[in-house]
Amino acid sequence: MEKMNSIPNERICDLVDGHEPDGTRAQALNALLSDRQAIHTWHVYHVIGDVLRSSELAPSKSDYAFLERLERRLENEPACRVSSEDSSPVHRISGVSSANAAVFRWKMVGGVASFALVSVLGVSLWSQTGLRGDAQLAVHNTAVQSTPTTLVATDTGAGTMLRDARLDELMAAHRQLGGHSALQVPAGFLRSAAHEGLAR
Amino acid sequence: MVTQGNALAQQRAGADIPLHSWLLRVHQAARQSVYTGTFVVSSSAGMASARIWHVCEGEQQLERVETLSGTPRAIFRHNDQVVTFFPQSKIAVAEVRESLGLFPTLLKSTDSSIGDFYQLKALGNERIAGFDADVFHLLPKDQARYGYRVWNEKKTGLIIQLQTLDANNKVLEQATFSELQFGAVVNAAKLQRSGSTEGYRVIRPDLLKTTADAEGWMLPKPVDGFKPMGCYIRPAAAATAVDGNAQHTMQWVFSDGVATVSLFVEAFDARRHLREGTTDMGGATHTLTRRIGNWWATAVGEVPLPTLSAFALALERKK
Repeated sequence: MEKMNSIPNERICDLVDGHEPDGTRAQALNALLSDRQAIHTWHVYHVIGDVLRSSELAPSKSDYAFLERLERRLENEPACRVSSEDSSPVHRISGVSSANAAVFRWKMVGGVASFALVSVLGVSLWSQTGLRGDAQLAVHNTAVQSTPTTLVATDTGAGTMLRDARLDELMAAHRQLGGHSALQVPAGFLRSAAHEGLAR
Repeated sequence: MVTQGNALAQQRAGADIPLHSWLLRVHQAARQSVYTGTFVVSSSAGMASARIWHVCEGEQQLERVETLSGTPRAIFRHNDQVVTFFPQSKIAVAEVRESLGLFPTLLKSTDSSIGDFYQLKALGNERIAGFDADVFHLLPKDQARYGYRVWNEKKTGLIIQLQTLDANNKVLEQATFSELQFGAVVNAAKLQRSGSTEGYRVIRPDLLKTTADAEGWMLPKPVDGFKPMGCYIRPAAAATAVDGNAQHTMQWVFSDGVATVSLFVEAFDARRHLREGTTDMGGATHTLTRRIGNWWATAVGEVPLPTLSAFALALERKK
């Protein structure tokens, strides 16, 4: 049977809501502070009140568990082959405090977005030089969406490298029409023919 | 030609060589030689090899290339007609590579400016794939292009090894014959028959000729030495179309006579076009992407990155 508080829950509720009369408030608080179960109830009532007023103050245990799993997974992700310049979009954006920074679900979205971005940067072996700052922001914004960019595995001999299939297509197209070279025959054409095998 | 070749070969190491006559000799050697061999391309991106049979009869060029690495493919070329056979999928891709026939015109044109941007120096002699070769260094005169180390087979002038070099003479890519036979008996009729597409599903990629002006693009500040060589429209492949709406891609090709740059422009798609900048894919070919309003430009070429950047930044939408 659950142990009863030394102070009734109704009085704790009144204390939380500020309805306890001035004359008995000190006595009620003393009774509360001397009872561990009453303190727990006091805390629960505060949390319930906070949740009723704002959902942003009510992260659940499962949320924390998810965050912990996410952090562990991020720690185990292979290091990205990006330069210090390359990592700036991720850090810069995550460091900016936005108007909804306190809202937990937005932090969750931000975490997933950052994870997606780290994954994209990690697997693509991209070395970004970046032409403009707003382009870096665009990367963050679009990373949340499902991306139809196709990455293909290529065996380079030194390990498998993932490549952007679209860039491979454009490189093949370049080689097809890019034979305006004094060195193209046979070296250029053969180079192109042999190289297409690398990209496919 | 042999006399001219001997004259070129007799130059002492370090001497400046007349570039124009050397280029013509290289080109004629490729067209007039009969050979079979194994060709290997290697760079930091990996290694690829192919087997080649080449015959010529007058102006007719017949060539068959079989890849020895990657997806099995056989490429058959009759002058500028190229058919790529994929035996596993029984698909044949038939294309016209008109650029293959353009070079003599490019070289013979009076405004040819290859010599304004490159100079040729003799490096001496070496033996490659069992053949004596004259080694030349094709040096760029500015930072906008790469240099090349070229091995010409002594008698014919055929390029049997080619290295692309960065500004520090570091080899970015090497293409070489690991094995070569001149004058080998090649059955031309049999070679011709190998170009038959019987039993294959033939795909002819739609490639429409256009002009950058007609597509609404201009390059107000040209990159030194590079001239527009052609502009084409490529319909998007179904796999890359966005939401089922195929977007066409413009390809604007530039060349300085040795190096080539392609400028691709397509409609911007936030789902696919994730980032601007460069992608290191190894080797001498680089790519650089840039968003221009509602458009997405990709510059591809065997040139240093600042040159690609100059192209991408100079590209403007007509008002």
